[in-house]
Amino acid sequence: MSQLPETHGDPRQIAKWAERYARSRTLPFLVQWVFIVVLVVVIGALAYVTLLAYKTHRQTLLWICMAAVAAVTVVLTWFSSSRWGGELIWRISQRLYGKEGYAEYSGGERAEAIRRAWWIRLVALGLAVYHLGLALLVGLHYLSVEYLQPWSALYMAPFLMLMVVTQRLGFWAWVWPGLYALHAVAILMGAPHFRGQWFALDVLVPIFGYGLISIIVGHFYSRYALRRLKALARAGIKDDRGDSGVPTE
Amino acid sequence: MNDLDRTIHEPARLRIVTILSGVDVADFSFLLETLGLTKGNLSSHMDRLEKAGYVEVIKSFKGKIPHTQFRLTKAGQDALAEYWAGLDQIRALRDKTGEQ
Repeated sequence: MSQLPETHGDPRQIAKWAERYARSRTLPFLVQWVFIVVLVVVIGALAYVTLLAYKTHRQTLLWICMAAVAAVTVVLTWFSSSRWGGELIWRISQRLYGKEGYAEYSGGERAEAIRRAWWIRLVALGLAVYHLGLALLVGLHYLSVEYLQPWSALYMAPFLMLMVVTQRLGFWAWVWPGLYALHAVAILMGAPHFRGQWFALDVLVPIFGYGLISIIVGHFYSRYALRRLKALARAGIKDDRGDSGVPTE
Repeated sequence: MNDLDRTIHEPARLRIVTILSGVDVADFSFLLETLGLTKGNLSSHMDRLEKAGYVEVIKSFKGKIPHTQFRLTKAGQDALAEYWAGLDQIRALRDKTGEQ
């Protein structure tokens, strides 16, 4: 054996950067984010009009708005869980990535088994129940609306951290729970926040805002990881002749 | 000392299996773009790796669009690990004889 591969650094680094790149592909999350934000804004706007209709005693408008809110909520739920929704997000994401292609890292069989575990679904259901409970307690004046976001962060931040670990996401995903928890601390320390009829934005803006920041951080990191990966992967490939590059004795 | 696995030792194929060892699956376009090879060249390498049992081809549909992905098999993972171990041995031997 006379010839060892040209290293240009350790070629084993290729695997490391391929993994980092695959774990930071966040455009599918961005596409999903856009869909969900649009639907949440539509639900919010419809809920606002519903409230106005209720206050001004316009029964027909009230029923139409309530039916529309219910319909959009069903669409949101269906879109988030159906195979069609997943495939649509995949197709749009692939179009955005263009000729860059597709690579996936999901953490192997163990991570896949954790993702399918019943307790993960229970924890996710708990998130919804917890927030509905919070809304109820705020509505009944048992909890101060001032601290809605910090109360939300008590469940949301650990939940998001659990998702980062179980989904084997890249470092970028930690930005989301980290900022959400810091936001809660800032409110407890007296930072300005949404009040009055806009109180729900105290939770919605940080959830979607920090989610978007996290996604953007991931995307930029994936660009860096891909550049490093290409530099390593292309270095040392000397020939373009298919099968002819095997070094001889 | 065993010879290095020639299927993997070829520079382009070594990089293909190393990339695949870092991800679960990757498609043809990703490997093409990352490695900067020609389509024919990459096809020939993938064919060789598949015949060696190192790479599994996964064909599926996303909606109506066909999608071909590649995954490193257990045999491929073992062969790559063995390759790196063999290479380290050769390098260590070379360094040792170089010192003498």
